[in-house]
Amino acid sequence: MEKKFDKKKILDLLLNNAMYIIIALLVVYVAIKRPKFLGIASIINIISLTASKLPMALGIAGCIVLAGTDISAGKIVGLNACITASLLTTVYKIWPNMTAPFPIPVVLLIVLCVGGLIGLFNGFCVAQFDLHPYIVTLSTQLIIYGIILIYMMLGTNNGMALSGMTEEYKQLITGPLFNIGTVRVPRYVFYALCFVGLMWVIWNKTTFGKNMFAVGSNKVAAEVSGVNVKKTIMMVFTLAGMMYAITGFIDAARVGSANATTGLNYESDAISACVIGGVSFVGGTGKISGVIIGVLLLQVIFAGLNFLSVNANLIYIVKGLIILIACAIDMRKYLTKK
Amino acid sequence: MSNEVLLRMEHISKSFPGVKALDDVELTVKAGTVHALMGENGAGKSTLMKCLFGIYHKDEGQIFLNGQEVDFKDSKDALEHGVAMVHQELNQALKRNVMDNMWLGRFPMMDKLPFVSEKQMYEKTMEVFKDLNIDVNPKTIMSEMPVSQRQMVEIAKAVSYNSKIIVFDEPTSSLTEVEVEHLFRIINSLRDRGCGIIYISHKMDEILRISDEVTIMRDGKYIATKDSKNITMNEIIKLMVGREITNVYPPKTNTIGEKLLEVKNLSAEYSKLSDVSFVGYKGEVLGVAGLDGSGRTELLENIFGIATRKSGEIYVDGKQVTNKNPRESIKNGFAMLTEERRATGIFGVRDIQANSTISSLKKYLNHGFLDNKKLSEATQWGIDTLKTKTPSQKTPIRSLSGGNQQKVIVTRWLLTDPTILLLDEPTRGIDVGAKYEIYELILKLANEGKLVIVVSSEMPELLGICDRILVMSGGRLAGEVDAKNTTQEEIMTLAAKYV
Amino acid sequence: MKKLLSVLLAALMVFTLAGCNNSANGGDAPASDAEDVAVFWYNHTDAYLSSVRSAMTDALESAGVTYNHYDANTDQTTQTDQINTAIAKGVKVLVVNQVEASNDDVTKTILDAAAAANLPVVFFNRSVTEEVVTSYANTAYVGTDYTQAGHMEGKMVGDYVLANYDTVDLNGDGVISYVMFKGQEGNLEADARTQYGVEDADAILTAAGKPALAFYDADNANKYLLDLNGAWSNTASKEYMDTILSQYNEENGNMVELVIANNDDMALGAVNSLKEHGYNGGADQVTIPVFGVDAMDFAVALINEGSMTGTVKQDAVGMADAVKTIAVNFLNGNGAFDGINSAYELEGTWRVNIPYSAYNG
Repeated sequence: MEKKFDKKKILDLLLNNAMYIIIALLVVYVAIKRPKFLGIASIINIISLTASKLPMALGIAGCIVLAGTDISAGKIVGLNACITASLLTTVYKIWPNMTAPFPIPVVLLIVLCVGGLIGLFNGFCVAQFDLHPYIVTLSTQLIIYGIILIYMMLGTNNGMALSGMTEEYKQLITGPLFNIGTVRVPRYVFYALCFVGLMWVIWNKTTFGKNMFAVGSNKVAAEVSGVNVKKTIMMVFTLAGMMYAITGFIDAARVGSANATTGLNYESDAISACVIGGVSFVGGTGKISGVIIGVLLLQVIFAGLNFLSVNANLIYIVKGLIILIACAIDMRKYLTKK
Repeated sequence: MSNEVLLRMEHISKSFPGVKALDDVELTVKAGTVHALMGENGAGKSTLMKCLFGIYHKDEGQIFLNGQEVDFKDSKDALEHGVAMVHQELNQALKRNVMDNMWLGRFPMMDKLPFVSEKQMYEKTMEVFKDLNIDVNPKTIMSEMPVSQRQMVEIAKAVSYNSKIIVFDEPTSSLTEVEVEHLFRIINSLRDRGCGIIYISHKMDEILRISDEVTIMRDGKYIATKDSKNITMNEIIKLMVGREITNVYPPKTNTIGEKLLEVKNLSAEYSKLSDVSFVGYKGEVLGVAGLDGSGRTELLENIFGIATRKSGEIYVDGKQVTNKNPRESIKNGFAMLTEERRATGIFGVRDIQANSTISSLKKYLNHGFLDNKKLSEATQWGIDTLKTKTPSQKTPIRSLSGGNQQKVIVTRWLLTDPTILLLDEPTRGIDVGAKYEIYELILKLANEGKLVIVVSSEMPELLGICDRILVMSGGRLAGEVDAKNTTQEEIMTLAAKYV
Repeated sequence: MKKLLSVLLAALMVFTLAGCNNSANGGDAPASDAEDVAVFWYNHTDAYLSSVRSAMTDALESAGVTYNHYDANTDQTTQTDQINTAIAKGVKVLVVNQVEASNDDVTKTILDAAAAANLPVVFFNRSVTEEVVTSYANTAYVGTDYTQAGHMEGKMVGDYVLANYDTVDLNGDGVISYVMFKGQEGNLEADARTQYGVEDADAILTAAGKPALAFYDADNANKYLLDLNGAWSNTASKEYMDTILSQYNEENGNMVELVIANNDDMALGAVNSLKEHGYNGGADQVTIPVFGVDAMDFAVALINEGSMTGTVKQDAVGMADAVKTIAVNFLNGNGAFDGINSAYELEGTWRVNIPYSAYNG
């Protein structure tokens, strides 16, 4: 009896920390096979990859806490990457009348507005017409895609990839934060950390954050409890839109160019990361740390399988299995406690 | 009366990590009897039933049905062996119609064709309804019917399986007196056919009226089985709580002050509530009685701004307020405890702290950010004041019992410092001990000079704690009575005025 | 109120989009009147096709015919539906950039539908089979010899490496280690570029007595890295290159010494990653040769500044011009290839090939 009880406890412990264990096992396995996986260069690479995906995942996590989703995220990233690349450039393709690149703060403001407004539009439709976010963002995703295609055909660009971004802007994003040996840590890692901090405060220390969880957990009860449900939904989506905009702003410099496929399928990775990290589709639950773990795990998989020279096709399968296992473990929490 | 034993559960034990939920419990149900199963919340009644239905796997013990040992895999297995349950919280496909729900999982098929026969389904449903004297169109969508009728469908479903054992779990908690009468007629007719009925309820008077035998449980243990004819309410309560409760209601100590709330000609846009006017005083407990669907809940919802108002005016302290939505109402000092706790009250996955503080978050801001210390102090105040039983502030609310969930929601409202509390069925589904604490709290609030408006289906409750009682009928205010000098009969007469 | 709002919103959106559409396509015919030439594109995001589209818009406009562009968004079903709708609408010539390249059944479906309405069809860019096309009247294909780009890239790589062998061989081990970025699985052009880009280079090297190129990661049986989204994107190659450089670098003595990409976008991603790691940034830095295909403006610019080495030019204007010429011929009832630019290679009676050309600054 006593022993059985312990066994169950251990099993619970294992399952509750399954994601950490999976990451650890994966890292250990890859490191044994390829010791350089734990080299500074490799660790910095994984951290950088994680940092580049974090702002977006943090944004989308809010939508999932509302028991919704946002599949327009990748396209919003793409649009803002294209806007950034077209304005902070030395080759004036989209806007041939430009004579100098825009000041960086102005562009940042522009993309924040664009992202925020699209997010607000998403949130407005979800809140005001009581539509499921999947439907709303499925539609806006198409609308934004059209806008990107039109935007890329403006001026003399003809739909080409936008590059030739100003040195100042590239330095701001990918310039060295500091160097470890010869390995450079890009600045956007620092920005990602800032956004993690910002989102943590918003989620845990503001009335808006608490209201967001309440709405996600029980919309009617939230309304009765005096939460402005519509405003909360709109704010969550607006905030998410702004985070996507920032992701686009960073991505244009990180990748070094932007085109109509920038941001393609980003949302599926971001949603997967959230779900892996325990931001449940049940709504009303989730932690910032979970989002970070989710994003990190996906990047460890990407880099690890690469180090192991695993066939690309297998990566799909591994990713799919991880998401499935993560969700199954997560759901356990809601099933067993009867 | 036949004495043939239909169901016998012996030495049932069940443990959960850290808790022994059932400890050597027994239950014997005879054919043609109504067997009441009683105990406070957490006494193990539901766990025992879940062991019977195979939802939980019992650790020890045996179950015999008609003398044969059985061990059901799940509730469907039990149902097919003639053991049915009418749940407290109905699990129905609300978007589907009545007959779909009745025949779900065993739809009658067309002859030799792999298609469902709607015609047969309709006829079979009507047959059962006629038999039970239920007046419901089988094609009505479930969500369009009141809870009471949905419950009737559930009973009809149990009967349609030719069930020999039917378990009723808190069947009257959402029924009005008239509906309760109908339910009792059905239960009696089932008993007369030789069925064994297991009846779980907190309502003493019902138990004494309907049951033949009573089994009482306490803290997961079997206490006693008694003949209902030879036992009194006080004896049952004594067995249940292990102590004597002399007074079911705390003594009234509140004094009524000056006018606080005035409602003039209130009418609703989307319900039949029309032209209701009344006043409420500081320090008063004001009851609202009426049949189900009489507009009691709608009255509170319209005052609080949940439902759309068509016309009417609300004055607090002589000043007009609009109460357009809950946010505004809260600002104006109103608080409302809703009727359906699970659907509109709790944030199930969130913890006690989040559930307690959601309506008063602004109080805990420190330089624009929430202060953890203030949050946990406020939550702890609620836990201490209301004696909420919870392992910690971080426990998800859904893992608490109904009574403790209710206390957390009451905490939520007390933290908004309301002057007018609207309580819709505050004691529904709560055990006797917790009920008493809620009554004490209501009186304490009145003593603090607040106006407490209580909607309840339990008339003794209203008579026990209120100063005045408004009686609603057909969406209109049928009358107003003084709780001290009225009788249940007077209230019933008023309640039937506009039906 | 809410209903009104939603109607207004919908109306506003439709209006806005209609406005966008006009500005994008310039002189479209009014929507009620069928255009002469309907052009069906496989995907509007494709950068090379976008430049063909611009060129074709100009060519058709100056030829004075009305036209309309349709985007299948990589979905053959969508495209087939679009074609059937256009036929029903009464267009006169179909110009098709078939989504599922070399799928005979799809080609036949399109041609059957066209034949039933007695319409001529011009396929372009994405391959169709000779057998199918020649069995119908009034059809032609404007393409490139899809293997040619791969061959040309391979030859360019081989020539360059041979001429600069010691510079390219950074660690001096006598073997050049390379990485190949593949844009998409199951695409003939990607397959050919991936295969010949290395094979032809190897042929040149071994003929000169040098060892063949070696994939940087000996354990990778595929000998290429694939864009998992099949989008031929710079994001994919950038992230791969970052990851590669964290393991294979000069410090470890196993630096990747050569980058071959299926297209310029992927080459660009690699260049950007290299630049971030202190390569390809000018005369004072080590330059890893990077090769692409398409001769995009940005690639040409990179080649001119020295951070990319070579690309293969696919002539967008030439392709648009050939399509326009054939389409106008069909409209006027002339022979398909009347008056076509003599620089293009005619193949039988069914096909025109627009030649590629190497570009290395």
